[in-house]
Amino acid sequence: MPGSITTPEIELVIEKKTTDGGGGNLPPVDHPGGGDDGKRPPKRRPSPKRYYTGMVLGIVSILMFFMALASAFLVRRGSGDWIPVHIPTLLWINTAVLLASSATLELARHRLSQGLLSAYKNLWLVTTALGVLFLVGQVVAWRQLAAEGIYLASNPASSFFYIFTGAHALHLIGGVAALLYVAKRNFDQAQVTRSVAAEVTSYYWHFMDALWLFLLALLYLGK
Amino acid sequence: MVTYDDGASAPHSAHPSFLARYVFSTHHKTIGLQYLWLALASVLVGMLLSTLLRMHSSWPDTAIPFLTGFENTPERYAAIRLLHGSLMVFFVLTAAPQLGFGNFLLPLQIGAAEMAFPTLNLLCFWMTVVSLLGMTASFFYPQDVGINLWLASAAIFALAALLSALNFTVTTIDLRADGMTLPRLPVTVWAWFLNSILSMLIFSVLLAGCTALLADRLLGSQFFSATSFLAAQPQNLVRQGSQPILWQRLFWYFAQAEVYVAMLPCFGIITHLVATFSRKPVWKERLVVLALCGVGLVGFCVWGYHMFATGMNPYAPLVFAVLASSLGVPAAFLLASWLGTLWEARLQLTTAMLFSIGFISLFIAGGLSGIFLARHDLRSAAVSEDFVIGHFHLVMGVAATFAILAALFFWFPKLFGSRLNEPLGKIHFWMTFAGVYLIFMPMHWLGLLTQSQLLPAAQRATLASAGGSIRTLVTVATIVTVAAQILFVLNFVQALVRRKVAEADNPWRATTLEWSVASPPPESNFGNIQPVVYRGAYEFHAGPVYDFAPQHLAPELLSQKQS
Repeated sequence: MPGSITTPEIELVIEKKTTDGGGGNLPPVDHPGGGDDGKRPPKRRPSPKRYYTGMVLGIVSILMFFMALASAFLVRRGSGDWIPVHIPTLLWINTAVLLASSATLELARHRLSQGLLSAYKNLWLVTTALGVLFLVGQVVAWRQLAAEGIYLASNPASSFFYIFTGAHALHLIGGVAALLYVAKRNFDQAQVTRSVAAEVTSYYWHFMDALWLFLLALLYLGK
Repeated sequence: MVTYDDGASAPHSAHPSFLARYVFSTHHKTIGLQYLWLALASVLVGMLLSTLLRMHSSWPDTAIPFLTGFENTPERYAAIRLLHGSLMVFFVLTAAPQLGFGNFLLPLQIGAAEMAFPTLNLLCFWMTVVSLLGMTASFFYPQDVGINLWLASAAIFALAALLSALNFTVTTIDLRADGMTLPRLPVTVWAWFLNSILSMLIFSVLLAGCTALLADRLLGSQFFSATSFLAAQPQNLVRQGSQPILWQRLFWYFAQAEVYVAMLPCFGIITHLVATFSRKPVWKERLVVLALCGVGLVGFCVWGYHMFATGMNPYAPLVFAVLASSLGVPAAFLLASWLGTLWEARLQLTTAMLFSIGFISLFIAGGLSGIFLARHDLRSAAVSEDFVIGHFHLVMGVAATFAILAALFFWFPKLFGSRLNEPLGKIHFWMTFAGVYLIFMPMHWLGLLTQSQLLPAAQRATLASAGGSIRTLVTVATIVTVAAQILFVLNFVQALVRRKVAEADNPWRATTLEWSVASPPPESNFGNIQPVVYRGAYEFHAGPVYDFAPQHLAPELLSQKQS
């Protein structure tokens, strides 16, 4: 009988690679009345595994969303009314800004793991600022195209250009919001530590970065 | 990420306000029940609409009494069909087995106190409500506005389904109790889990399709351009170089996989119930799980077919879906397992079991008619729309409804603490069972008879005149079957009002974790005691006194009870 095996399941624990120096990892203050029966150990933070899993799955769904549009792009490209859109030069600068933000984010997390909280905070804010700069750059690029008379409704190629860059920008606004949230959050009583929150956010941010490179390549090579 | 600090385990006051208890509750059991209420309302409206449709096609000249705006125009008829289809597919077939029963039971069956992201769950429910209201409202607007509203509602539904699928997946991966290894998961949990993975992938495609189409219609972008698939397209949006086939591909990719999304949780429920009421382990349980994976994989793989195949005729995707859903290898495995479990079993023919067997019957009948449809030269074949409608209603709509009813009869004590009336339930079952065959089997004949291209014209005319009486038969059967649902509503209301304390916490002598707690379960599910799982989910035939071994019972306690 296969089910009668009573070997306990080996629990997979994601090892915490980073240790939090600046107070984020202090044992949380117990809620008044929380230890009701006295026998249980003081309340600990539940496993943060679900945040990692949730983020990875979220990334897969977002990827699927863009893949659906990308395959529509490839199919639609073959039609007669397709007038290619040239990529504004500004986009290459924006790309450099976004790549730099990923680098500063990793640096910030490294500082956090070393326990240098103020250095981490500064680098984190630099990352956020670079993210905002990228978004501003995208808006400027759209305005440049609009000045040339290329709008969303102009032709299929411009429609795809705007929906790819627009959808990516919307997702990146979410990323900026997450960065601000992690920066402002008080982690003393939260369910996750600062380093977990930073790591989960970094997954999303790096994904946004990679997704942008993919979309840029698609728009550049596929025009 | 969810900004959620201490919610699930926070101490609740004894009498929370109405808003806190129903509207803003993040508790998985409350939300699960709310999805079920939503589905119940939708199914009742959807059924009435189908009666209207049938009456109209049989007696076209009679004015529909309480719909003065109906005016017997083809557009209104199409709008009713759209509303019937949207309500049934989105808010009954997708919502009830997965979101309703799944939300209520999945954390209980894996031994968790809550879903992984409770606030997200609440958000998804209200987005679904908004989508339901939007789709219903689109019926009352002029066609052009109505279609936009419908598309926006579909996009909201897709986003909600996407996020709750993510929630389900994370919950199953990370929140299982100690000892709940993957092989010990109940097949229901497997089905919800695999279905969530599939939903995450396909609803993002629907979301992308709806976004692009809405942009086309509202902002004048040119993704699909002349979207001639929607009949009354305003002239200013129609441009040259039409690409409706692109939208068709995106949509059919979703629509095909949607068949599996509706059916997968039903497969899980039926496997679970058949084993419990046969008092036997699931026959070849691992193979069943593999088959469910196979169904999910087939559902996903049609993607490639749709993106790159060209020159589709409009029936091809449906045929493909029908072929894959009814005649696929995984479906055959599932069928073999159900029959293998039933073989020489000490059957307990409760209403829930009757509905399960009814499901299997419909599944076989639908599969057989699928063979006719699985021809590549369908257009020249001797079938018409009636045949297709009869087929997919039988295999998808009615079969899934039977699974939902079976689940409702089975888990009603767990949901509400009382049991549905068995004799009344059985009468309801037999009337519905006979009714759906009387509706959909003649529809198959109708499809074969009236539009057969292989017969000479004179014979066709004779057959077409015979079709009229078949149509009337179908309509009368529809009215009777819909009326029989009053029995169910009565049964339901009566059981709710009575609210007698269930005679036992485990009336069906089932093995899974949800039956190890009181019915209905306490707010915190398992309280302070973390459940531990010692064995697989289908250990029947365990001993002379107890004919089943609950998952949570430690081996030494079990041997005590046996002696």
